[in-house]
Amino acid sequence: MRINCPCCGERGIDEFSYYGDATVTRPDLTSPTAMAEFVAYAFERANIPGPHRELWYHAAGCHLWLVVTRNIATHEILSVESARDVALARNANAKGSA
Amino acid sequence: MPVGDYSIFSVMKEALRGHTGWGPAWRDAEPKPAYDIVIIGGGGHGLATAYYLAKEYKAARIAVVEKGWIGGGNVGRNTTIVRSNYMLPGNIPFYELSMKLWEGLEQDINYNAMVSQRGVLNLYHSDGQRDAFARRGNSMRLHGVDCELLDADAVRKMVPFLDFENARFPVHGGLLQRRGGTVRHDAVAWGYARAADRHGVDIIQNCEVTAFRFENDHVVGIETSRGYIGAGKVGISVAGNSSRVAAMAGMKLPIESHVLQAFVTESIKPFIDGVVTFGAGHFYISQSDKGGLVFGGDLDGYNSYAQRGNMPVVEDVCEGGMALMPRIGRVRLLRSWGRHHGYVDGRQPVHRSHPHQGSLFQWRVVLRRLQGDASGGHVFRASDCTR
Amino acid sequence: MAKSTLAAQSAFTDLKTSKHAALTIEVLDDLTMASIASSKGRAEEVKAAIRAAYGVELPTTPERVTGKGIAFIWHGPDQWMAIADRGAGMRDIEVELKPVLAGIAAVVDQSDGRAVVRLSGPRVRDVLAKGVGIDLDPRAFKSNGVAITHASHIGIVLWQVNDAPAYEIAMFRSFADSFATWLTHSAAEFIGH
Ligand SMILES: [Zn+2]
Repeated sequence: MRINCPCCGERGIDEFSYYGDATVTRPDLTSPTAMAEFVAYAFERANIPGPHRELWYHAAGCHLWLVVTRNIATHEILSVESARDVALARNANAKGSA
Repeated sequence: MPVGDYSIFSVMKEALRGHTGWGPAWRDAEPKPAYDIVIIGGGGHGLATAYYLAKEYKAARIAVVEKGWIGGGNVGRNTTIVRSNYMLPGNIPFYELSMKLWEGLEQDINYNAMVSQRGVLNLYHSDGQRDAFARRGNSMRLHGVDCELLDADAVRKMVPFLDFENARFPVHGGLLQRRGGTVRHDAVAWGYARAADRHGVDIIQNCEVTAFRFENDHVVGIETSRGYIGAGKVGISVAGNSSRVAAMAGMKLPIESHVLQAFVTESIKPFIDGVVTFGAGHFYISQSDKGGLVFGGDLDGYNSYAQRGNMPVVEDVCEGGMALMPRIGRVRLLRSWGRHHGYVDGRQPVHRSHPHQGSLFQWRVVLRRLQGDASGGHVFRASDCTR
Repeated sequence: MAKSTLAAQSAFTDLKTSKHAALTIEVLDDLTMASIASSKGRAEEVKAAIRAAYGVELPTTPERVTGKGIAFIWHGPDQWMAIADRGAGMRDIEVELKPVLAGIAAVVDQSDGRAVVRLSGPRVRDVLAKGVGIDLDPRAFKSNGVAITHASHIGIVLWQVNDAPAYEIAMFRSFADSFATWLTHSAAEFIGH
């Protein structure tokens, strides 16, 4: 597998570290159902073959955090985004809908 | 029609007949409208579960449904190691039960699974690691499991060709479980399939589950590519496909599927007696009866259903091997493959009941380990399917 | 004040500058280096300050720019490495840059933190290919191109100096001997042991 880093260009996955599901967000500690939410956040995964949004860190390169969409049945990489951009967009959406 | 016993007489008779009289080892069963128990997944765990159920509950109608063919999944993709050299209270009895079942397996199922108790040796490279291994060894002995802590000289007698003076990982000794060893992985599948069949279990191949049918929160059957099959109880034993199958029943599991690669070299003269693991260098190795070196190392480390891995891990595993035993450097790699497993935090099997009322629907997530096939089936039989 | 008897030592224990037809290895021991990391949201000010002081445009892609007696190497998003010869005057880039970038970037001396080697000659790409995963073919990688990557598991920053071709490779100082071991093994078929 090769990941097209927005900073560095296409590199082998030997340069990247994998950090799992990029879609989960840390629950609110003060929620009355925080325990169940944290169990789901930490452990429960859809884990279905097909496109999977996941975090990769360009550890041996520019140190950028990436959100990679990858088909886990075929290893085909469908898109690569900066995790910072993804997080900023998510926060903007959350504000917009609040 | 169940097949007859294998014995020295049948082998001699067939030898004289040019082996023309062997029949199929199990029936290629057609699905019946309904069973008391249906096991999804015809791998080591699923077949063992069906076998131990059928042996104990002779009247029960039992089927195993397999989306591919028997021996075509992970049971044919592991590296044949069996052992019970664990440390934690939950692990040791589970894998030791398996070890005991392996020890009596061939007589029990009348099949040569090539169980070979050639020893599993875990190497240590520092005082700290030795202390940790001593602790594990003590934990094993407290559970009645055999093990010995070896110093460097004793290891040298067993495997003199290791790089004992390696600058980074000098070999200081090892923890040895002599009762550990290897089992021919696909013979496990074939042997359990044949034995289950002889107890009347229907083994239904090329039969993929597409949905579950529920009535009043209780499972009543499964939809498959070969039609609807009614079921009193259903067990799931599908390794890396657990999340997919569980999702059909509306369950989300604490599991991710990962790929673990394994490798075989060309055949060479015998030189490694047992299983040697180099945990610090992420490498383990044994030699098959055909002479190929069978080895592996780390997970690739990302979610995958692809049953194949990537080059960096190939390089990493080979580097681990070269660090431990430089003499294998000239052996050619014959093939490599990947198998996908379900992993939970802690990386051990999970037994869970469906949250639906009455525990009538049960499932079992089966992970990577051949060494748990026997006890997995046994425990699943006891704890889940029969409650 | 009495002159110190402490002498700077090369990061490389055994690797020495050596010239061969296939490959020339130069150990660059007399460099002054500093890392520049822009403060949050201040990258444009950093670029303007460097433009004013050195007349060069800091790159925002993996590239190197050279000014008069100084080079700036892209070192990640909004980060750069400044490199110059130390020389007899004991030039100190950190001291030089700190007032230029005061309040808008972190400037940290790397002179003794990194080891740098220059490789050139007709077989240099063949030597590097054994441990560097990126494509150094001239169609894919040109003079002043920069790559943060690894060579035989050792983190490096690599840039192309000219089309000879010549490359310079920087690594953490403590990895210098490991890198040299790999380099001499990789180059052995072209230059001998
Ligand atoms: Zn990058």
